[in-house]
Amino acid sequence: MKLRTTKYIFKEGLINAYRNKLMSLASVSVVTASMIVLGLFLIISINLKYNIQKLEQQPQMQVYCDPELDDEQIKVIEQAIKNDARVKKYTYVSKKEALEKMKEMLGEDQDVLEGLGDDFMPVSFIIELNNLKDAKGVVEAFKLIEGVSNVRYSQERIDILIKIATWVQVGNIVLTIILLAVAMFIISNTIKLTVFARRKEINIMKYIGATDWFIRWPFIVEGVVIGLVGAAIGFLAISIIYALLSSKVSEGINIISLVSLRELQIVVTYTFALVGIVIGSLGSAVSIRKYLHV
Amino acid sequence: MVEFRSVTKIYPNGTLALSDVNININKGEFVFIVGQSGSGKSTMLKLILKEEDPTSGEVFVNGYNVSALKRKEIPYLRRSLGVVFQDFRLLPNKTVYENVAFAMQVTEALPKEMRRQVPMSLALVGLSKKANMYPGQLSGGEQQRVALARALVNNPSLLIADEPTGNLDPETSWEIMKLLSEINCRGTTVIVATHEKSIVDAMKKRVIAIDKGTIVRDQKKGQYGDEIKNNQIYI
Repeated sequence: MKLRTTKYIFKEGLINAYRNKLMSLASVSVVTASMIVLGLFLIISINLKYNIQKLEQQPQMQVYCDPELDDEQIKVIEQAIKNDARVKKYTYVSKKEALEKMKEMLGEDQDVLEGLGDDFMPVSFIIELNNLKDAKGVVEAFKLIEGVSNVRYSQERIDILIKIATWVQVGNIVLTIILLAVAMFIISNTIKLTVFARRKEINIMKYIGATDWFIRWPFIVEGVVIGLVGAAIGFLAISIIYALLSSKVSEGINIISLVSLRELQIVVTYTFALVGIVIGSLGSAVSIRKYLHV
Repeated sequence: MVEFRSVTKIYPNGTLALSDVNININKGEFVFIVGQSGSGKSTMLKLILKEEDPTSGEVFVNGYNVSALKRKEIPYLRRSLGVVFQDFRLLPNKTVYENVAFAMQVTEALPKEMRRQVPMSLALVGLSKKANMYPGQLSGGEQQRVALARALVNNPSLLIADEPTGNLDPETSWEIMKLLSEINCRGTTVIVATHEKSIVDAMKKRVIAIDKGTIVRDQKKGQYGDEIKNNQIYI
């Protein structure tokens, strides 16, 4: 296609969208609303995934000893772990190592640990099992060992999170499809109005030898413009919502960690741009097929 | 230039519009197609433009076998033709100049060529001075001349006019017909479907008369027709 034709097509597409202000506006708002819902789901699933990954990086199972135990008592616990046939491997984590790790995790906030002694963190054992199916039994057994203060088994949490993530994903897909279908329907109606308003012009174009695509392209541009404008507004809304949300969350306790706004925006930008273009062009394609008898 | 080979057209609703029509129009001819409404005139033009396909038979236009033409190729057939309608079909929100230029724009013509061709075409129909006016500011005759300029701007070898004077008063009708005749003198083949008995009779061009889907007369330097006299019951 020649450059001047491309220019003509974009100009016509934008003029169409502008002339049809009210319907364009209605379509843009529907697209925006759909994008916001899609964005909320994206926020949930991205953060679930992020938390799952974080948990998976942590040791599967960790047995914490009572901080007040002496070396002898710890040896007894170590022996008990060593003798358990279900344990494949275990690693001893000293008080000092635990503190280092804690400092590392806290990063810039490590000054909160200042003034606390070296023995603030408890001794623990990182345990790897032969078979994950034994996990529940092992947790129960180790909790009963004298001097063990806690047994953390993160796989359980991971499993729950994965389950939630799966359901969120399913709900996401279903709801998104419904919303996008609605958005597409509205866009296709808008384009239908434009086609109707310009039917005389289209007829003339056909008689003077315009190709089908020359006639179609401006309508596709109109649809894509509506889709992209809706996506852009949705993007802004989602960014604001997320910024507010993460500031609220970081004020509270860090049970869940959120991905940074920048990281979310990257995913949202690609997703929204793609979805905007797809629903815009499909929406106009539907009306072009139905109403534009080129 | 234009050839109908035993063309029959039956519309889906069963109307027989043309029945075994054979005509041959040569390059450079000026032809009137006359007949009452519903006689099949418009169908003939629609077949030439490939708005409709014949039920049987073949149509050839400008070297294209129109009946076998693929959908994708239709625009290129139409670019080799100029068409003028009874209702002018101009774009009201474009100026005279833009209306004419539009026909070149859809063919992706060079802007340089457009700047050359559009004024030439407007000069040919005598509307150079009104290039920046809108169709609504022009009289019917002037609007039809704009339509003619648009039809001619791509230098078609064949010009088709469907009742070009149907909306015009007799005097203006004459002007348009004279203009069509002038265009014909420059070498363009012209086909005019019309009702205007007085004009047809006075111009002494080839007349193809059609009635109920069949060619009833094909005369060089013909008249509107005797069959009107025979059918006085309708008048």
